[in-house]
Amino acid sequence: MKRLTWNTLLVRYPSLFALILLVLTIAVNFIVQPKLFAIDTLNSNMRVFLPLILLSAGQAVVILGGGIDISVGAIVCIVNTILATRVGLQGSPEAMLQYTALSLLVGILAGAINGFFVAHLRLQPIITTYATSFLYGGLALYILPNPGGGIPAPIAELYRSSTPFGIPLAFFVIAILLLLWGYLRSTRYGNYLYAVGGKAQAAYETAVPVVWLQFSTYVISGFMAALSGVAITMLSGAGNAEIGLAMTLTSITAVVIGGNALSGGVGGVAGPVMGAIALSFVQNIISFARIDTWWETLVKALIIIVALATPGIINLFRRRT
Amino acid sequence: MTLSLSARNIVKRYGGVVALSDGNLEVNSGEVVALIGANGSGKSTLSKVLNGVVTLDGGQLLLDGKPLHFASPQSAKKMGISTVFQELSLIPQMSVADNIWLTREPLSPLGVVSKATVFAKTEELLSLFTGMFKTELRPDSLVSDLPSDEKQIIEILKAVSFNPRLLILDEATASLDSRQVHRLFDLVAKWKGEGKAIVFISHRMEEIFQIADRYSVLRNGKTVGAGDMKDITEKDLVKLMIDKDSVFQYARSGTSTAENPVCLEVKDLRNQVLRGISFEVHEGELLGIGGLQGQGQRNLLLSLFGDIPFSGTIHFNGQPAQFRHPRQAMESGFALVPGDRAREGLLYIRSTLENLQLPSWARYGFPLKIDKAKDDAERMGARLKLVMAGLQEPVSSLSGGNAQKVVIGKWLMRQPSILLLDDPTKGVDVGTKAEFYALLTKLCEEGKTILFYSSDDEELIGLCDRVLVLHDGSIQTELVGAALTKENLIAASLGVAHGDAS
Repeated sequence: MKRLTWNTLLVRYPSLFALILLVLTIAVNFIVQPKLFAIDTLNSNMRVFLPLILLSAGQAVVILGGGIDISVGAIVCIVNTILATRVGLQGSPEAMLQYTALSLLVGILAGAINGFFVAHLRLQPIITTYATSFLYGGLALYILPNPGGGIPAPIAELYRSSTPFGIPLAFFVIAILLLLWGYLRSTRYGNYLYAVGGKAQAAYETAVPVVWLQFSTYVISGFMAALSGVAITMLSGAGNAEIGLAMTLTSITAVVIGGNALSGGVGGVAGPVMGAIALSFVQNIISFARIDTWWETLVKALIIIVALATPGIINLFRRRT
Repeated sequence: MTLSLSARNIVKRYGGVVALSDGNLEVNSGEVVALIGANGSGKSTLSKVLNGVVTLDGGQLLLDGKPLHFASPQSAKKMGISTVFQELSLIPQMSVADNIWLTREPLSPLGVVSKATVFAKTEELLSLFTGMFKTELRPDSLVSDLPSDEKQIIEILKAVSFNPRLLILDEATASLDSRQVHRLFDLVAKWKGEGKAIVFISHRMEEIFQIADRYSVLRNGKTVGAGDMKDITEKDLVKLMIDKDSVFQYARSGTSTAENPVCLEVKDLRNQVLRGISFEVHEGELLGIGGLQGQGQRNLLLSLFGDIPFSGTIHFNGQPAQFRHPRQAMESGFALVPGDRAREGLLYIRSTLENLQLPSWARYGFPLKIDKAKDDAERMGARLKLVMAGLQEPVSSLSGGNAQKVVIGKWLMRQPSILLLDDPTKGVDVGTKAEFYALLTKLCEEGKTILFYSSDDEELIGLCDRVLVLHDGSIQTELVGAALTKENLIAASLGVAHGDAS
C-alpha cells in the first residue's frame, strides 16, 4: 500500500519535482546574480524565458493527450521569418498586427497538418512531426535564406521593456496562460484530454471523440508555437530561419521535468511552465557563473535524468527495506 | 423505452482471420440473454459489433425493426446501448467519478464540470454496491489504486450510468467474489424489471442458469443454437459449445498423497497482507487455495516465488527456501503461473516460440541452438494441444485459452518440481478447462506438487483433496475429504466457522 501512496502522490502532484527544482534554481541564481529580484533584472530574464514557456505549454497539451510534437521549433522559425521579411525594420504597427495575426493562422494550420496525419491517418506522432519539422523548417529557409530583416525597434521595445503596474509583461502572459489552462482542464475538454492520453482505447469505447481530441491538441500546440515565434521575434527584433530549432527538445525537457508522463494522461501545464522557467534559470546561472557553456548541456541532462529516475529510485529503496 | 435489437448473419474479419462468420442474436426489453461460447468463438466480437466498437463486414443490425449502422461507439451510445467490457474501459490515472461520468459530465453555465454534482451522483451509484468494497472507496479515488474486483464494479456502474436500454455484460463477474456477484444479480433482476434488455456473457455455467432467460450459443464464429434456458440442460449447452461429448467430466485422482513425504513447509508467513500463514504440502499433492478474491492468495503465491518481501520460514525438501528473487525460486524448481496473463504471463506481441522458451533460453547454449529450441517448443505445443497458426505467430493471435496454455507451457519447459498457479482458468472456456484439469492431474501423478488458487469453487472441490481457505490474510479453514463441500467452502470464504456444518 505504501508504494501505491507514492504513485498516488505523483499522479496527484506531478509537478512537485519542478517546483523543488524551480526554488533551487532561483536560490542559486540569486547567489550568482544578487539583483535578481530588481524589476529590470527580472524583466530582462523573464522576456528571454517567455518564448520557451509558451512553447512548453503547447507541448504539454500534446503530450497530455498521448502525442508529441517535434515540429514546434520549426513553426517558431516560420513565424519569425514571416514577421522579419513581411514587416521589416521600417514597418508600421498596422503591418505588425496584420502579420502577427497571419502568423498565428499559419501556426494553427501547421498544427492542423500535424493533427490530420497523426489523428486521422493514425501515423506515429514522433515520426510524423519530425518529418513535418523539415517541411516547416525548409519553408522558413525558403522565406529567409540568410539571417536578416527584422521588426521595427519601437515595436520590439514594447515587448522588451513593458512593465505594467511595475510587473514584467511576461508575468501577465503566464498568468493568463495558467488561468486559461485552469479553465480548460475543468471543462469536459480537459477530461477528454486526460482520458485519451491515459488510455485511448478505453476512451474510444466510452464514446470520447478520440480523433477530434488528438487533432485539437496539435492545433493548440501549433498556435502556442506561433505565439512563441511572435515573442521571440519581438525579443530579438531580427530574422533568422533557425532561431527556434533548438527549442523543440528544450520544450519536451521542460514538460518531462514538469512531471508529465511522456506516455500521456498524467500532469498538467503549470508543471511544464515551472520546468521551462527552471531550465532557463539553469542557463542563466551557467552564463553568470562564467562556466563553459558545455556545462549547460551536462546540467540539463542531469536534471532530466534525476527527474525521470526519482520515482524509480524511491521505489528501489522501499523494496530494500 | 422498449427495445428490440437483432443481429443477423453478422460477419467480422480481422485481417485474414474470420472472427465471426454467422453471428446472430436477438434481445428484447425486460429479458436477459446469455451469449455463450468457448474462448475465441466470437462472443466478444459480437458484443463489439452491437456496441459499435467495431464495424461489421457483413450482415445486418436491426433496432426496433429498422436497419441501422453504427459508425462508432458514439452512435451506439445514442441508441442507448452500453457495455461492461471484459478488458475494462477505465482510465487508470483518472478518479472513479471522472471515469464513470466521462462524456456526460454535468456542466455549470461556463462549461465547467461541476465536481460537486459529479461526486454526489457517483456516491449515489456507489451505494448500489454498499458494503461490497474492501477498501475505503471514494469518488475521488484513483482507479489505478483499486483492487481488480472494485475496478470491475466501477466498470459496471459506469455502463449503468448511461441509463442504457441495452446493457452488455462481457465477463462482468470474472473478478468478483460470490457476494458481489450476488449483488450484481439482484441489480440485474431489478434492471430487467425496469425494462432494460441485458446481454450476459460468462464462462460460469452456474451463473448463466441463475440469471438468463434465453441463450444463444456461438461456436467458431457461428451461432449454433438459441432458445429458452428452461428447455436446456447444462450438459446440452456445453455440448453445443464444444461440439464434442467430452464434457466437464473431471474427477479427482483416487490416490491419496497424504502418505507422501512433506516437500514444502511454510511457517508464519507475514507481510503487508498475510497475517501468519503456516501449512505443509506433500509431494505430488494438488493443494487448493480458495476464499473470496483478494484475501491474500496472490500475495501468498508471490511470496513463495520470492517476488515480494515477507517474513517467516519456508522449507522446500528440507532446505530453507525464503527466496528474495524469483530467479532463486526458479533455480530451486519453482514455477509461477501468474493471474494476469496479458500483463505478467506473456509477451503479447512476440511469437509463441519466444514465449515458450523465455525462461529456458539459457539451456540452449551460445549461439542458440535454435532448431532444438523449436523442436522442444513444438513438442510442448503438441503435449498441450495448442491450437496455433505456427510457432512464429505472435501470442496475441491466440485465443484466451490457448494463450493460457502458453503461460503454463513456458514453465513446464523447465520441468519444475512445484507449480504455483494463480487462478489459471479465469476467462478460459470449458473445453480448455477440461484439458487443464487432465493436465494438472497428470502432473501430480508424475510427482509434481501444485498449489492451485482458483476463484471457481467447483473447480477446487472437483480437483483437490485439500483446500486452504484464506480470509483476510490468514488461513480461515482447511477443508479435507468429506468436509470439502461447496457449503463449507462458501461458509469458510465468508469467514464463518464450518464446525457445525461439517
